[in-house]
Amino acid sequence: MTLDWSVVWTHRGALIDATGMTILLAVATMAIALPCGACLAALRLYAWGPLRALAVSYVEFFRNLPLILVVYWAFYVLPILTGFGLSPFLTGLAALALNVTAYNAETFRAGINSIRRGQVEAAMALGMSRVQALRRVVIPQALRRILPILASTWVSLFKDTSLVSVIAVTELAYVSMQVRAQTFRVLEMLSAMAAIYWLLGYPQAKLVDWIQRRYAVSE
Amino acid sequence: MNDDDRAKADRPKIIRYRSVVKRYGKLQALGGVSLDVHAGEVVCLIGPSGSGKSTLLRCTNGLESIEGGAIEFEGAVLPRDERGLRVLRRRMGMVFQSFELFPHLTALQNVAEGPRTVLKMNPANARLRAEMFLAKVGLEDKASSYPSELSGGQQQRVAIARALAMSPDVMLFDEPTSALDPETIGEVLSVMKQLADEGMTMVVVTHEMSFARRVGDWVAVFDVGCVIEQGPPKQIFEVPLTERTRDFLSHLGWAG
Repeated sequence: MTLDWSVVWTHRGALIDATGMTILLAVATMAIALPCGACLAALRLYAWGPLRALAVSYVEFFRNLPLILVVYWAFYVLPILTGFGLSPFLTGLAALALNVTAYNAETFRAGINSIRRGQVEAAMALGMSRVQALRRVVIPQALRRILPILASTWVSLFKDTSLVSVIAVTELAYVSMQVRAQTFRVLEMLSAMAAIYWLLGYPQAKLVDWIQRRYAVSE
Repeated sequence: MNDDDRAKADRPKIIRYRSVVKRYGKLQALGGVSLDVHAGEVVCLIGPSGSGKSTLLRCTNGLESIEGGAIEFEGAVLPRDERGLRVLRRRMGMVFQSFELFPHLTALQNVAEGPRTVLKMNPANARLRAEMFLAKVGLEDKASSYPSELSGGQQQRVAIARALAMSPDVMLFDEPTSALDPETIGEVLSVMKQLADEGMTMVVVTHEMSFARRVGDWVAVFDVGCVIEQGPPKQIFEVPLTERTRDFLSHLGWAG
Protein backbone atom coordinates (compact mmCIF):
# COMPACT_ATOMS: atom_id res chain seq x y z
CA MET A 1 0.00 0.00 0.00
CA THR A 2 1.44 3.33 -0.99
CA LEU A 3 0.62 6.51 0.82
CA ASP A 4 -0.11 9.69 -1.03
CA TRP A 5 0.06 12.63 1.38
CA SER A 6 -0.53 15.16 -1.38
CA VAL A 7 -4.23 14.61 -0.89
CA VAL A 8 -3.98 16.52 2.40
CA TRP A 9 -2.26 19.47 0.73
CA THR A 10 -4.70 19.48 -2.15
CA HIS A 11 -7.63 19.82 0.23
CA ARG A 12 -5.93 22.24 2.62
CA GLY A 13 -8.47 24.96 1.92
CA ALA A 14 -11.38 22.78 2.95
CA LEU A 15 -9.49 21.47 6.00
CA ILE A 16 -8.62 24.98 7.19
CA ASP A 17 -12.24 26.10 6.82
CA ALA A 18 -13.36 22.98 8.67
CA THR A 19 -10.88 23.64 11.48
CA GLY A 20 -12.29 27.14 11.77
CA MET A 21 -15.78 25.65 11.99
CA THR A 22 -14.68 23.26 14.76
CA ILE A 23 -13.22 26.13 16.78
CA LEU A 24 -16.30 28.28 16.18
CA LEU A 25 -18.60 25.45 17.32
CA ALA A 26 -16.63 24.90 20.51
CA VAL A 27 -16.40 28.62 21.33
CA ALA A 28 -20.08 29.27 20.60
CA THR A 29 -21.12 26.24 22.64
CA MET A 30 -19.11 27.39 25.66
CA ALA A 31 -20.35 30.97 25.25
CA ILE A 32 -23.90 29.64 25.64
CA ALA A 33 -23.21 26.90 28.17
CA LEU A 34 -21.31 29.02 30.71
CA PRO A 35 -24.03 31.58 31.48
CA CYS A 36 -26.82 29.01 31.07
CA GLY A 37 -25.00 26.55 33.32
CA ALA A 38 -24.52 29.26 35.96
CA CYS A 39 -28.22 30.19 35.82
CA LEU A 40 -29.24 26.56 36.10
CA ALA A 41 -26.93 26.04 39.07
CA ALA A 42 -28.39 29.15 40.73
CA LEU A 43 -31.91 27.79 40.16
CA ARG A 44 -30.92 24.44 41.60
CA LEU A 45 -29.31 26.02 44.66
CA TYR A 46 -31.62 28.91 45.49
CA ALA A 47 -34.88 28.73 43.57
CA TRP A 48 -38.39 27.98 44.72
CA GLY A 49 -39.27 24.24 44.78
CA PRO A 50 -40.81 23.52 41.36
CA LEU A 51 -38.22 25.63 39.49
CA ARG A 52 -35.49 23.80 41.36
CA ALA A 53 -37.02 20.44 40.41
CA LEU A 54 -37.10 21.56 36.79
CA ALA A 55 -33.41 22.47 36.91
CA VAL A 56 -32.55 19.13 38.52
CA SER A 57 -34.53 17.25 35.85
CA TYR A 58 -32.80 19.11 33.06
CA VAL A 59 -29.35 18.38 34.42
CA GLU A 60 -30.04 14.73 35.14
CA PHE A 61 -31.66 14.25 31.74
CA PHE A 62 -28.96 15.70 29.54
CA ARG A 63 -26.02 14.59 31.64
CA ASN A 64 -27.04 10.96 31.29
CA LEU A 65 -27.79 10.81 27.59
CA PRO A 66 -25.11 10.00 25.01
CA LEU A 67 -24.25 13.19 23.18
CA ILE A 68 -24.67 11.59 19.77
CA LEU A 69 -28.25 10.71 20.68
CA VAL A 70 -28.92 14.34 21.56
CA VAL A 71 -27.44 15.36 18.21
CA TYR A 72 -29.75 13.03 16.31
CA TRP A 73 -32.66 14.07 18.50
CA ALA A 74 -32.02 17.75 17.78
CA PHE A 75 -31.81 16.97 14.08
CA TYR A 76 -35.06 15.02 13.81
CA VAL A 77 -37.17 16.27 16.69
CA LEU A 78 -36.36 19.99 16.99
CA PRO A 79 -37.87 20.84 13.57
CA ILE A 80 -41.08 19.02 14.55
CA LEU A 81 -41.24 20.75 17.93
CA THR A 82 -40.40 24.24 16.71
CA GLY A 83 -42.05 24.01 13.32
CA PHE A 84 -39.05 25.28 11.40
CA GLY A 85 -35.83 23.67 10.28
CA LEU A 86 -32.54 24.92 11.67
CA SER A 87 -29.31 24.83 9.71
CA PRO A 88 -27.05 21.87 10.53
CA PHE A 89 -24.70 24.30 12.29
CA LEU A 90 -27.40 25.67 14.59
CA THR A 91 -28.79 22.18 15.20
CA GLY A 92 -25.35 20.89 16.15
CA LEU A 93 -24.74 23.95 18.31
CA ALA A 94 -28.06 23.43 20.12
CA ALA A 95 -27.24 19.77 20.83
CA LEU A 96 -23.76 20.57 22.14
CA ALA A 97 -25.03 23.50 24.23
CA LEU A 98 -27.83 21.40 25.79
CA ASN A 99 -25.26 18.82 26.84
CA VAL A 100 -22.47 21.10 28.05
CA THR A 101 -24.91 23.37 29.93
CA ALA A 102 -25.90 20.36 32.03
CA TYR A 103 -22.27 19.60 32.83
CA ASN A 104 -21.44 23.23 33.62
CA ALA A 105 -24.47 23.52 35.89
CA GLU A 106 -23.18 20.61 37.94
CA THR A 107 -19.69 22.08 38.01
CA PHE A 108 -20.93 25.47 39.25
CA ARG A 109 -23.15 23.85 41.84
CA ALA A 110 -20.37 21.65 43.17
CA GLY A 111 -18.04 24.67 43.29
CA ILE A 112 -20.48 26.74 45.35
CA ASN A 113 -21.22 23.82 47.66
CA SER A 114 -17.53 23.16 48.23
CA ILE A 115 -17.11 26.46 50.08
CA ARG A 116 -17.71 25.74 53.74
CA ARG A 117 -20.48 27.40 55.69
CA GLY A 118 -18.07 29.19 58.02
CA GLN A 119 -16.95 31.41 55.15
CA VAL A 120 -20.47 32.73 54.62
CA GLU A 121 -20.89 33.17 58.36
CA ALA A 122 -17.65 35.14 58.57
CA ALA A 123 -18.86 37.39 55.76
CA MET A 124 -22.28 37.83 57.36
CA ALA A 125 -20.71 38.52 60.76
CA LEU A 126 -19.03 41.52 59.11
CA GLY A 127 -22.48 42.77 58.14
CA MET A 128 -22.61 41.52 54.56
CA SER A 129 -25.89 40.44 53.02
CA ARG A 130 -26.20 36.92 51.63
CA VAL A 131 -25.81 38.29 48.12
CA GLN A 132 -22.67 40.23 49.08
CA ALA A 133 -21.25 37.14 50.79
CA LEU A 134 -21.90 35.13 47.66
CA ARG A 135 -20.39 37.75 45.37
CA ARG A 136 -17.36 38.73 47.44
CA VAL A 137 -16.49 35.50 49.25
CA VAL A 138 -18.14 32.37 47.86
CA ILE A 139 -18.08 32.89 44.09
CA PRO A 140 -14.44 34.07 43.81
CA GLN A 141 -13.30 31.00 45.72
CA ALA A 142 -15.67 28.65 43.90
CA LEU A 143 -14.51 29.91 40.49
CA ARG A 144 -10.89 29.20 41.30
CA ARG A 145 -11.81 25.70 42.40
CA ILE A 146 -13.84 24.89 39.30
CA LEU A 147 -11.59 26.55 36.74
CA PRO A 148 -9.68 23.29 36.11
CA ILE A 149 -12.97 21.39 35.71
CA LEU A 150 -14.36 23.96 33.29
CA ALA A 151 -11.11 23.83 31.37
CA SER A 152 -11.22 20.06 31.06
CA THR A 153 -14.87 20.26 29.99
CA TRP A 154 -13.62 22.62 27.31
CA VAL A 155 -10.99 20.15 26.12
CA SER A 156 -13.63 17.38 25.97
CA LEU A 157 -16.04 19.67 24.15
CA PHE A 158 -13.40 20.54 21.59
CA LYS A 159 -13.11 16.88 20.65
CA ASP A 160 -16.82 16.15 21.01
CA THR A 161 -17.68 18.70 18.33
CA SER A 162 -16.69 15.91 15.92
CA LEU A 163 -19.97 14.15 16.82
CA VAL A 164 -22.05 16.70 14.96
CA SER A 165 -20.45 15.42 11.75
CA VAL A 166 -23.30 12.88 11.71
CA ILE A 167 -25.73 15.66 10.77
CA ALA A 168 -23.43 17.14 8.13
CA VAL A 169 -22.05 20.16 9.97
CA THR A 170 -18.98 21.02 7.93
CA GLU A 171 -16.51 20.82 10.78
CA LEU A 172 -13.20 19.02 10.79
CA ALA A 173 -14.41 15.42 11.18
CA TYR A 174 -17.14 15.75 8.56
CA VAL A 175 -14.91 17.41 5.97
CA SER A 176 -12.10 14.90 6.51
CA MET A 177 -14.53 12.05 5.99
CA GLN A 178 -15.89 13.72 2.85
CA VAL A 179 -12.41 14.01 1.38
CA ARG A 180 -11.73 10.40 2.33
CA ALA A 181 -14.91 9.28 0.57
CA GLN A 182 -14.01 11.16 -2.58
CA THR A 183 -10.35 10.14 -2.76
CA PHE A 184 -10.32 6.78 -0.94
CA ARG A 185 -7.25 8.03 0.96
CA VAL A 186 -8.37 6.65 4.31
CA LEU A 187 -5.13 6.49 6.24
CA GLU A 188 -3.89 9.85 5.02
CA MET A 189 -7.08 11.69 5.88
CA LEU A 190 -7.48 10.02 9.28
CA SER A 191 -3.87 10.87 10.10
CA ALA A 192 -4.31 14.46 8.98
CA MET A 193 -7.46 14.76 11.07
CA ALA A 194 -5.70 13.25 14.09
CA ALA A 195 -2.76 15.62 13.66
CA ILE A 196 -4.98 18.69 13.49
CA TYR A 197 -7.06 17.72 16.52
CA TRP A 198 -3.93 16.89 18.49
CA LEU A 199 -2.05 20.03 17.53
CA LEU A 200 -5.00 22.14 18.60
CA GLY A 201 -5.83 20.08 21.68
CA TYR A 202 -2.40 19.61 23.20
CA PRO A 203 -1.61 23.30 23.82
CA GLN A 204 -5.08 23.68 25.33
CA ALA A 205 -4.44 20.80 27.72
CA LYS A 206 -1.13 22.39 28.70
CA LEU A 207 -2.87 25.71 29.22
CA VAL A 208 -5.34 23.94 31.51
CA ASP A 209 -2.45 22.59 33.58
CA TRP A 210 -1.00 26.07 33.82
CA ILE A 211 -4.32 27.61 34.85
CA GLN A 212 -4.65 24.95 37.51
CA ARG A 213 -1.28 25.87 39.01
CA ARG A 214 -1.75 29.61 38.63
CA TYR A 215 -5.17 29.98 40.24
CA ALA A 216 -5.09 27.26 42.86
CA VAL A 217 -6.01 28.62 46.32
CA SER A 218 -4.34 26.79 49.14
CA GLU A 219 -6.01 26.67 52.52
CA MET B 1 -25.23 36.33 91.90
CA ASN B 2 -23.27 38.87 93.80
CA ASP B 3 -23.28 42.11 91.90
CA ASP B 4 -21.41 43.78 94.75
CA ASP B 5 -18.27 42.10 93.46
CA ARG B 6 -18.97 43.20 89.90
CA ALA B 7 -16.59 46.09 89.31
CA LYS B 8 -18.39 47.46 86.25
CA ALA B 9 -21.92 46.73 87.46
CA ASP B 10 -22.84 50.42 87.44
CA ARG B 11 -22.12 50.74 83.73
CA PRO B 12 -24.90 50.36 81.17
CA LYS B 13 -25.82 46.86 80.08
CA ILE B 14 -24.72 46.40 76.48
CA ILE B 15 -26.05 42.89 76.04
CA ARG B 16 -28.81 41.25 78.04
CA TYR B 17 -29.72 37.61 77.63
CA ARG B 18 -33.14 37.00 79.15
CA SER B 19 -34.19 33.36 79.51
CA VAL B 20 -32.82 32.54 76.07
CA VAL B 21 -34.05 29.22 74.66
CA LYS B 22 -32.55 27.61 71.56
CA ARG B 23 -33.60 24.27 70.10
CA TYR B 24 -32.23 22.19 67.25
CA GLY B 25 -35.22 20.02 66.46
CA LYS B 26 -35.90 18.14 69.67
CA LEU B 27 -32.52 18.91 71.16
CA GLN B 28 -32.58 21.83 73.54
CA ALA B 29 -29.25 23.65 73.18
CA LEU B 30 -30.08 26.52 75.52
CA GLY B 31 -32.60 26.09 78.31
CA GLY B 32 -33.30 29.61 79.46
CA VAL B 33 -30.01 31.46 79.79
CA SER B 34 -29.97 34.82 81.56
CA LEU B 35 -26.82 36.89 81.64
CA ASP B 36 -25.84 40.57 81.43
CA VAL B 37 -22.81 42.11 79.78
CA HIS B 38 -21.93 45.60 80.96
CA ALA B 39 -19.98 48.12 78.90
CA GLY B 40 -16.25 47.49 78.99
CA GLU B 41 -16.58 44.09 80.61
CA VAL B 42 -14.85 40.90 79.56
CA VAL B 43 -17.39 38.16 80.14
CA CYS B 44 -16.00 34.64 79.79
CA LEU B 45 -18.26 31.70 79.04
CA ILE B 46 -16.76 28.44 80.26
CA GLY B 47 -17.97 24.89 80.59
CA PRO B 48 -17.73 21.49 78.92
CA SER B 49 -18.05 21.04 75.15
CA GLY B 50 -21.64 21.01 73.95
CA SER B 51 -22.90 22.94 76.96
CA GLY B 52 -24.26 25.81 74.84
CA LYS B 53 -21.57 28.49 75.19
CA SER B 54 -20.87 28.82 71.47
CA THR B 55 -24.56 28.58 70.66
CA LEU B 56 -25.29 31.55 72.91
CA LEU B 57 -22.51 33.52 71.23
CA ARG B 58 -23.85 32.69 67.77
CA CYS B 59 -27.33 33.81 68.83
CA THR B 60 -25.89 37.13 69.97
CA ASN B 61 -25.33 38.40 66.42
CA GLY B 62 -28.19 36.45 64.91
CA LEU B 63 -26.18 33.75 63.16
CA GLU B 64 -28.63 31.47 64.98
CA SER B 65 -32.20 32.36 65.81
CA ILE B 66 -33.72 31.75 69.23
CA GLU B 67 -36.97 30.00 70.09
CA GLY B 68 -37.68 31.64 73.40
CA GLY B 69 -36.69 34.52 75.68
CA ALA B 70 -34.97 37.60 74.29
CA ILE B 71 -31.57 39.05 73.57
CA GLU B 72 -31.20 42.80 73.94
CA PHE B 73 -28.40 44.86 72.46
CA GLU B 74 -28.07 48.36 73.88
CA GLY B 75 -31.61 48.26 75.20
CA ALA B 76 -33.32 47.03 72.02
CA VAL B 77 -34.43 43.49 71.34
CA LEU B 78 -32.48 41.83 68.53
CA PRO B 79 -34.23 42.35 65.19
CA ARG B 80 -35.55 39.26 63.42
CA ASP B 81 -35.20 40.46 59.85
CA GLU B 82 -32.01 40.13 57.85
CA ARG B 83 -31.70 43.84 57.17
CA GLY B 84 -31.92 44.74 60.84
CA LEU B 85 -29.46 42.00 61.75
CA ARG B 86 -26.96 43.26 59.17
CA VAL B 87 -26.90 46.71 60.75
CA LEU B 88 -26.44 45.11 64.15
CA ARG B 89 -23.66 42.79 63.05
CA ARG B 90 -21.52 45.75 61.99
CA ARG B 91 -21.41 46.70 65.65
CA MET B 92 -20.44 43.25 66.89
CA GLY B 93 -17.12 41.84 65.74
CA MET B 94 -16.86 38.07 65.70
CA VAL B 95 -13.81 35.83 65.85
CA PHE B 96 -14.20 32.15 64.99
CA GLN B 97 -12.46 29.05 66.27
CA SER B 98 -11.41 28.13 62.71
CA PHE B 99 -10.41 31.74 61.82
CA GLU B 100 -12.47 31.74 58.60
CA LEU B 101 -10.16 34.19 56.87
CA PHE B 102 -10.96 34.53 53.18
CA PRO B 103 -8.27 32.34 51.56
CA HIS B 104 -8.35 34.11 48.18
CA LEU B 105 -7.48 37.46 49.75
CA THR B 106 -4.25 38.70 51.35
CA ALA B 107 -4.13 39.59 55.03
CA LEU B 108 -4.58 43.27 54.13
CA GLN B 109 -7.49 42.56 51.78
CA ASN B 110 -9.14 40.41 54.44
CA VAL B 111 -9.07 43.29 56.89
CA ALA B 112 -10.14 45.83 54.24
CA GLU B 113 -13.06 43.69 53.03
CA GLY B 114 -15.60 44.77 55.65
CA PRO B 115 -14.86 48.51 55.36
CA ARG B 116 -14.93 48.20 51.55
CA THR B 117 -18.04 46.10 51.04
CA VAL B 118 -20.13 46.90 54.09
CA LEU B 119 -19.08 50.44 55.04
CA LYS B 120 -18.61 51.40 51.36
CA MET B 121 -15.27 53.06 52.07
CA ASN B 122 -13.19 53.95 49.05
CA PRO B 123 -10.30 51.54 48.38
CA ALA B 124 -7.55 53.90 49.53
CA ASN B 125 -9.22 54.64 52.86
CA ALA B 126 -10.10 50.99 53.42
CA ARG B 127 -6.48 50.12 52.77
CA LEU B 128 -5.20 52.69 55.27
CA ARG B 129 -7.64 51.42 57.82
CA ALA B 130 -6.61 47.82 57.20
CA GLU B 131 -2.93 48.74 57.58
CA MET B 132 -3.70 50.43 60.87
CA PHE B 133 -5.49 47.41 62.31
CA LEU B 134 -2.90 44.94 61.03
CA ALA B 135 -0.30 47.04 62.84
CA LYS B 136 -2.47 46.93 65.95
CA VAL B 137 -2.21 43.13 66.03
CA GLY B 138 1.48 43.30 65.17
CA LEU B 139 1.24 41.99 61.60
CA GLU B 140 1.96 45.03 59.44
CA ASP B 141 4.80 43.10 57.78
CA LYS B 142 2.40 40.30 56.73
CA ALA B 143 0.02 42.58 54.80
CA SER B 144 0.63 40.90 51.46
CA SER B 145 0.69 37.32 52.75
CA TYR B 146 -2.16 34.96 52.01
CA PRO B 147 -3.76 33.15 54.96
CA SER B 148 -2.19 29.83 53.89
CA GLU B 149 1.24 31.44 54.34
CA LEU B 150 0.56 32.42 57.96
CA SER B 151 0.72 30.40 61.17
CA GLY B 152 -2.50 29.68 63.04
CA GLY B 153 -1.76 32.38 65.59
CA GLN B 154 -1.06 34.92 62.87
CA GLN B 155 -4.24 33.98 61.03
CA GLN B 156 -6.29 34.46 64.17
CA ARG B 157 -4.69 37.86 64.77
CA VAL B 158 -5.61 38.87 61.21
CA ALA B 159 -9.15 37.67 61.94
CA ILE B 160 -9.23 39.87 65.03
CA ALA B 161 -8.00 42.82 62.96
CA ARG B 162 -10.68 42.06 60.37
CA ALA B 163 -13.38 42.27 63.05
CA LEU B 164 -11.86 45.41 64.65
CA ALA B 165 -11.73 47.21 61.30
CA MET B 166 -15.53 47.59 61.51
CA SER B 167 -15.09 49.57 64.78
CA PRO B 168 -17.47 47.30 66.68
CA ASP B 169 -18.91 48.15 70.10
CA VAL B 170 -18.59 44.53 71.21
CA MET B 171 -16.26 41.69 70.27
CA LEU B 172 -17.49 38.09 70.32
CA PHE B 173 -14.81 35.40 70.54
CA ASP B 174 -15.80 31.79 69.84
CA GLU B 175 -13.03 29.62 71.26
CA PRO B 176 -10.39 31.76 69.55
CA THR B 177 -7.44 29.63 70.66
CA SER B 178 -8.90 26.11 70.50
CA ALA B 179 -7.56 25.39 67.01
CA LEU B 180 -4.08 26.75 67.70
CA ASP B 181 -0.74 25.12 68.43
CA PRO B 182 0.22 25.69 72.06
CA GLU B 183 3.13 27.94 71.08
CA THR B 184 0.90 30.41 69.22
CA ILE B 185 -1.91 30.61 71.77
CA GLY B 186 -0.02 33.22 73.78
CA GLU B 187 0.23 35.76 70.96
CA VAL B 188 -3.54 35.66 70.39
CA LEU B 189 -4.35 35.90 74.10
CA SER B 190 -2.04 38.88 74.50
CA VAL B 191 -3.81 40.71 71.66
CA MET B 192 -7.11 39.97 73.42
CA LYS B 193 -5.70 41.15 76.74
CA GLN B 194 -4.58 44.38 75.10
CA LEU B 195 -8.10 44.90 73.72
CA ALA B 196 -9.58 44.29 77.15
CA ASP B 197 -7.17 46.82 78.68
CA GLU B 198 -8.34 49.38 76.13
CA GLY B 199 -11.86 48.93 77.43
CA MET B 200 -13.41 46.82 74.65
CA THR B 201 -16.56 44.97 75.69
CA MET B 202 -15.88 41.29 75.03
CA VAL B 203 -17.79 38.03 75.29
CA VAL B 204 -15.31 35.18 75.16
CA VAL B 205 -16.08 31.47 74.90
CA THR B 206 -12.89 29.84 76.06
CA HIS B 207 -11.18 26.82 77.53
CA GLU B 208 -8.23 28.99 78.59
CA MET B 209 -8.96 29.15 82.29
CA SER B 210 -5.93 31.30 83.05
CA PHE B 211 -7.23 33.91 80.60
CA ALA B 212 -10.71 33.84 82.15
CA ARG B 213 -9.12 34.15 85.57
CA ARG B 214 -6.70 36.97 84.77
CA VAL B 215 -8.59 39.01 82.19
CA GLY B 216 -12.25 38.19 82.77
CA ASP B 217 -14.44 40.57 84.77
CA TRP B 218 -17.27 38.07 84.98
CA VAL B 219 -17.42 34.33 84.36
CA ALA B 220 -20.47 32.25 83.48
CA VAL B 221 -20.26 28.47 83.84
CA PHE B 222 -22.38 26.49 81.38
CA ASP B 223 -23.66 22.97 81.67
CA VAL B 224 -26.25 21.25 79.46
CA GLY B 225 -27.58 24.51 78.04
CA CYS B 226 -27.85 26.43 81.28
CA VAL B 227 -25.72 28.86 83.25
CA ILE B 228 -25.20 26.92 86.46
CA GLU B 229 -23.13 29.58 88.11
CA GLN B 230 -21.87 33.06 87.40
CA GLY B 231 -19.71 35.49 89.28
CA PRO B 232 -16.38 37.25 89.38
CA PRO B 233 -13.46 34.97 88.43
CA LYS B 234 -12.09 35.05 91.93
CA GLN B 235 -15.24 33.40 93.22
CA ILE B 236 -15.69 30.93 90.36
CA PHE B 237 -12.12 29.70 90.49
CA GLU B 238 -11.53 29.84 94.23
CA VAL B 239 -14.83 29.10 95.90
CA PRO B 240 -17.14 27.64 93.26
CA LEU B 241 -20.66 27.20 94.55
CA THR B 242 -21.68 24.09 92.66
CA GLU B 243 -20.27 20.59 92.61
CA ARG B 244 -20.50 20.60 88.80
CA THR B 245 -18.24 23.67 88.53
CA ARG B 246 -15.71 22.10 90.89
CA ASP B 247 -15.74 18.90 88.78
CA PHE B 248 -15.32 20.80 85.55
CA LEU B 249 -12.42 22.89 86.86
CA SER B 250 -10.66 19.92 88.40
CA HIS B 251 -10.95 17.99 85.12
CA LEU B 252 -9.06 20.84 83.48
CA GLY B 253 -6.40 20.51 86.15
CA TRP B 254 -7.38 23.77 87.77
CA ALA B 255 -6.34 23.40 91.39
CA GLY B 256 -8.21 26.52 92.55
